[in-house]
Amino acid sequence: MESNWASGHLQVIRTLMERSAVYRRALAPVMTANGVLGAVAAGVGLAARIRAPRAFAGYWMAVALAAVAGSFLLARRQALKEAEPFWSPPTRRVAQALLPPLFCGLALGLPLFAGQEGLGGAAAAGPGLFWLPLVWIALYGCSLHAAGFFMPRGMKLFGWALVLASGILGALRALGAFAWVEPWRFGHAVMGLVFGLAHLAYGVYLYFTERRGNEA
Amino acid sequence: MNPEPFLQLDRVIHEKGRLAIMSMLAASADLSFTELRDALGMTDGNLTTHIRTLQEAGYVSVTKSFENNRSLTTCSLTRAGRRAFTGYINLLEQIVRQTKAREP
Repeated sequence: MESNWASGHLQVIRTLMERSAVYRRALAPVMTANGVLGAVAAGVGLAARIRAPRAFAGYWMAVALAAVAGSFLLARRQALKEAEPFWSPPTRRVAQALLPPLFCGLALGLPLFAGQEGLGGAAAAGPGLFWLPLVWIALYGCSLHAAGFFMPRGMKLFGWALVLASGILGALRALGAFAWVEPWRFGHAVMGLVFGLAHLAYGVYLYFTERRGNEA
Repeated sequence: MNPEPFLQLDRVIHEKGRLAIMSMLAASADLSFTELRDALGMTDGNLTTHIRTLQEAGYVSVTKSFENNRSLTTCSLTRAGRRAFTGYINLLEQIVRQTKAREP
């Protein structure tokens, strides 16, 4: 009996210590905003025919920068509203988990951006536009999966979904699928679908589940 | 059965609400008052009372500051608080071990 009581106490302590380390900012607005940004950016990229590797890489890195800045501001606004410190230990843990894969994505995009091809040049048909978005998505998925250890509500699963989507699309491409799609169109479409619509869908899911969780 | 570990349990920490506060603070360098309140589902008054008790025992330190013109109250475990919390956990583990050893 005493053992049960003491074990119960230890279990409660463990749960509370874990909860203390979890990032608690509402993620629905962040995901929804990034989803809208990704979908609109893909539409603009297709409509504006951003097709040279250099332009493509620069364009999407700028979109990523805007997404990071927007997420930062949304999280900061929430912290201010709730009279909580923004740069809290959980926020630091999440940032530390996100950074290595995101940095890797930036490093892989830079060579394409630093290339000499002009807008719409011959290199627009290059394989980089097929592979770079897939690598970015896989790395982004890895970063969300890593951050998911400090976040609630299926963030790890969402990261896994992105990694799987990237792997499946890459395998299909290697088997000859999408050969009829121009690389730059494929790149924008993938970014729009995965960064845009997937984020949007996850944001809507979070909007309902986070609200239910708060009401409970 | 040796009742010694049970008798040694720190009564300040042993109370449910204060144990919850100590547990949260043990896993974080510091937490704001609102973070603690929301995570533990306590009222402002309840949390204030428990924090005051822990503060008087020397287990928790409270810092008041201003961030963007808003007052911000943050709590953290003191060295004595961390030591007391570790001691409390050790005693609980001792109780569990002791009881398990007696089971057939």
